[in-house]
Amino acid sequence: MPAATFEALDDLDAINKLYRERRWSDGLPIVPPTPERVARMLQHTQRRGDEVIAVLAPGFGEATVERIAINAVMAGCEPAYLPVLIAATSAVAEPQFNIQGIEATTNPAAVWLVLNGPIVEKLGVNATYNCLGQGNWANATLGRAMRLILQNIGGALPGDMDRATQGQPAKYTFCCAENEAQSPWAPLHVERGFARDVSTVTVVGAEGTLNMNTHSKQANELLRVIAECMVHPASNEYCHAGEPWLVISPEHAEILQAGGLSKADIKARLWELTQMPASRLSAKEVLRAQASRGDEYGEIKPDTLLTIARTPNDIWFIVAGGPGTHSTYVPCFGNSRAVTREIL
Amino acid sequence: MAKRGKAALTICSTAFKTLGRAQASALGRQDLPIAVMPHPFGLRKREEVREIAAKVVDDIAQLVSKSGAK
Repeated sequence: MPAATFEALDDLDAINKLYRERRWSDGLPIVPPTPERVARMLQHTQRRGDEVIAVLAPGFGEATVERIAINAVMAGCEPAYLPVLIAATSAVAEPQFNIQGIEATTNPAAVWLVLNGPIVEKLGVNATYNCLGQGNWANATLGRAMRLILQNIGGALPGDMDRATQGQPAKYTFCCAENEAQSPWAPLHVERGFARDVSTVTVVGAEGTLNMNTHSKQANELLRVIAECMVHPASNEYCHAGEPWLVISPEHAEILQAGGLSKADIKARLWELTQMPASRLSAKEVLRAQASRGDEYGEIKPDTLLTIARTPNDIWFIVAGGPGTHSTYVPCFGNSRAVTREIL
Repeated sequence: MAKRGKAALTICSTAFKTLGRAQASALGRQDLPIAVMPHPFGLRKREEVREIAAKVVDDIAQLVSKSGAK
């Protein structure tokens, strides 16, 4: 069914007031999704406007191509960004991503978009300086559009079906690209089974970001410090064995590579180094871990060493950022698995 | 389950009542019975949970039967 249209005064203030009153915005002013703007957006896909890409929990709204385009316009996206959002919408609806849990939980989980492949340069997605921060149109508006899609199509309105206790700033926007040129290893999408010249978007259910500033120049020491940052008792990772993520800066990546470490080596070492005795968790978290991971551990006792993920391969990282000694730990929702989709 | 003709209801805490109602409505089951417990539930001791369960079990059974297994 085509999206409904309505007449409005050609007055940006009045339109934004209307969108605010109807809770169609994320709290920031929007670009009015006029039929002309939506039509321009739709020129960047071969798909029909009424094609349903996914049904999005928790409200079970049908994410048609047209509705995705409308939210993309509202977020300020360039028309050429539409295929990224179509792929991302399809990805978040995969059962293993658990969008129902991510949107309806009290947890602050946000959807993080990670782009790889030729589309990064084509769209100008930032993978270098301040790639998780402000200042880049593609990063800012793609992440924002994803949020608007989840809210306006998926129905995840704060305080209604979005039950986040506090939420987090990344729920406004969270999108970056991998700095493939400065990574000493195969990029994320290749690791996840795609050809290097294919463009992809990976969606991650991210709890937040923790900056890790270390001037260490020694690979083993650097890994130990990163692992120390990843270990925290109030973590869904240890309770549910999720997928912790890292954004390794190019300088840190160079140090690790100079230490002779492959991606697999790094994952294996971090998996070992981040083991935490169950006694560090609260009694309630031990019960949660018991319920989720009893099949792995049997009875969890105070001296049981809990791993941050079921296997080393469940730890993921990309290389991104500019010069500097800052990497980022991205703890995740736990009951979610990242999904990667080709951007067509 | 309700769509398959099985008696069904949802049990949630007060903090999730809005979500439950909205989701039931989105799925076309506005009449889905929802039993609401005081929030927060996770902080209660097992004995307290058992006490609450004993108090509400008859009401919940009634809700299930009212939901009408077909």
